[in-house]
Amino acid sequence: MLKMTHLAKVYRTEVVETYALRDFNIDVKEGEFVAVTGPSGSGKTTFLTIAGLLETFSGGQYHLDGIEVSQLNDNARSKIRNEKIGFIFQAFNLIPDLNVFDNVEVPLRYRGMKAAERKQRIMDALERVGLASRAKHYPAELSGGQQQRVAIARALAGSPRLLLADEPTGNLDTQMARGVMELLEEIHREGATIVMVTHDPELAARAQRNVHIIDGQVVDLAEDPRFHHAVHEARTGTPA
Amino acid sequence: MPHIKPILAALKRHKAGTILIALQIALTLAIVCNALFIIQQRVTRLSRPTGMDESNLVAIQNRWVGVTDAAAAGVLTRADVLALRQMPGVQDAVQVNAFPLRGGGWSTGVRVDVDGKKPIAHTTQYFMDEHALATMGVKLIAGRNFRADEVVTTDPDKIQTSPQAIVSKALADKLYPDGSALGKPIYLGDDRTPSTVIGVVERLQVPWGAAWTDDFAENSVILPVQLTGNFSTYLIRAKPGQQAELVKAAPAMLTKLNRLRVITGDRGVRTFEVVREQAYKSDRGLAILMGVICLILLAITAAGIVGLTSFWVGQRRKQIGVRRALGATKHDILSYFLTENLMIGIAGVVIGALMAVGLNLWMVTQFEMARLSMAYVAAGVIALLLLGQAAVLAPAMRAAKVPPVEATRSV
Repeated sequence: MLKMTHLAKVYRTEVVETYALRDFNIDVKEGEFVAVTGPSGSGKTTFLTIAGLLETFSGGQYHLDGIEVSQLNDNARSKIRNEKIGFIFQAFNLIPDLNVFDNVEVPLRYRGMKAAERKQRIMDALERVGLASRAKHYPAELSGGQQQRVAIARALAGSPRLLLADEPTGNLDTQMARGVMELLEEIHREGATIVMVTHDPELAARAQRNVHIIDGQVVDLAEDPRFHHAVHEARTGTPA
Repeated sequence: MPHIKPILAALKRHKAGTILIALQIALTLAIVCNALFIIQQRVTRLSRPTGMDESNLVAIQNRWVGVTDAAAAGVLTRADVLALRQMPGVQDAVQVNAFPLRGGGWSTGVRVDVDGKKPIAHTTQYFMDEHALATMGVKLIAGRNFRADEVVTTDPDKIQTSPQAIVSKALADKLYPDGSALGKPIYLGDDRTPSTVIGVVERLQVPWGAAWTDDFAENSVILPVQLTGNFSTYLIRAKPGQQAELVKAAPAMLTKLNRLRVITGDRGVRTFEVVREQAYKSDRGLAILMGVICLILLAITAAGIVGLTSFWVGQRRKQIGVRRALGATKHDILSYFLTENLMIGIAGVVIGALMAVGLNLWMVTQFEMARLSMAYVAAGVIALLLLGQAAVLAPAMRAAKVPPVEATRSV
């Protein structure tokens, strides 16, 4: 479903080159629920933005649902984002000027879907997240957990092949976070492929598989001393 | 095709900016339509032909000094005219009481029925001799010119009805719409004695260029009369290419002929080009002023649209990134902002069209202005919508360049 091989992402300025991802390899199979963890600045978000075709990469290969995406133009990338990927952002990213129904409708409109089908899908997705009764509400009138559920409905409405979640519970309290996580697990059980970036080891543990990123590379935690250093640093606040 | 419903929904949440820009567009449309209409009327008036051979004409205004007797002044004036006609470079010359665009002249009502109470038309009266047509270069299209023996020299206070009259076609058509004016009587002012129309000239404008003469701008009567008096005005037609020379030579010759005169500097000797320029100075000034006001208004409106859209683009940067992340192409974003502007523009021009008509109706009742042509409103509507689209293009293109990764950035 999602396969990156020797992928690199370099940010260049006039004086310095910074590798956000280096020789990055990952293979997510269809139907998997993968949690991507790692310390701040390790490259988790860069991985997610490249995986979601929000950014281009500097080298290597990336196959998404069998398509090599490096040579695609902007329109083709937009089409893939629209049809194959569902995004769930940490900050929900609902459009404040639109009500819940219209927010969920946004990606469907860009797909050029007929109004009747759009309506059906929107209501199904809102039913799915338990917010059908809030269709006419604006985001500001909802709690954080409800907003994230709307964002999940928006991601689900287009029946994407892949769900990408960036710290989906990062802005929620424990109770709301639990609800959102249970929803993601339910969606996964129904067959969805989910890649979730998270800081939270507890959430990561609930995923089917964990992938750890340190310094822009996927590492095998058991063998990598950098992980132990990172754990030490996280626990003590001092470098190992 | 962009999506109107969500754009409308978003606009409803930004009422203040939307209403302000729509009102600005409306106000601009109302003012620009009416201003352009007034400019067009002025330009039409500015370019109205007098019917004369303007490029070769020179006008001289003379005042006799120390000549108190009107009859004696008449003799001196006659001598001037004869001397002018003898000058090299002169095609013909005539003494006149007024000429087109001079700014002052005589006007009166005209009837065709001796007992008619109300004049059928208003007309100017030119008093000239048989050299009038040749000097002015007006085209006689029916009948004949005056004969020398028909010309009467008289004091302005003792004018009697002239048996003959040459009229402009505009007046002839007004008095006798069936085209039969030639040989028919006309009654000038309160006269009960008719003047017979012996000739019709194609066109001859009245001495005024202002709006109040629009109803009778080409209604002219030439009567075979030479007025005596302390002031005399000459119209001289130069041979082709001799006008500039005559402007200097003619007053010099007149002064040499008789020094008992004053020919003033500013309006004493003028080519017809200068006459026209002076006659329409205020019209031209008003047209330019209104044109500048229109341009400033349009620029302010365009700047307002650019400003508001730029602000909205900045404000919605994250939202644009989210839309891009959810599958919007650059073109989708561009067309979103263009459509949004078009919708505000349409609201603005609908209100503006009503305001334009309302403003015009008010001016019609208050200042006797002409009714605004709907073509101006239609042209204004199209122009403002296009201006709006042009103004929004740059910020909309900036919006289209917002990358999808913006969705993941915290503000």
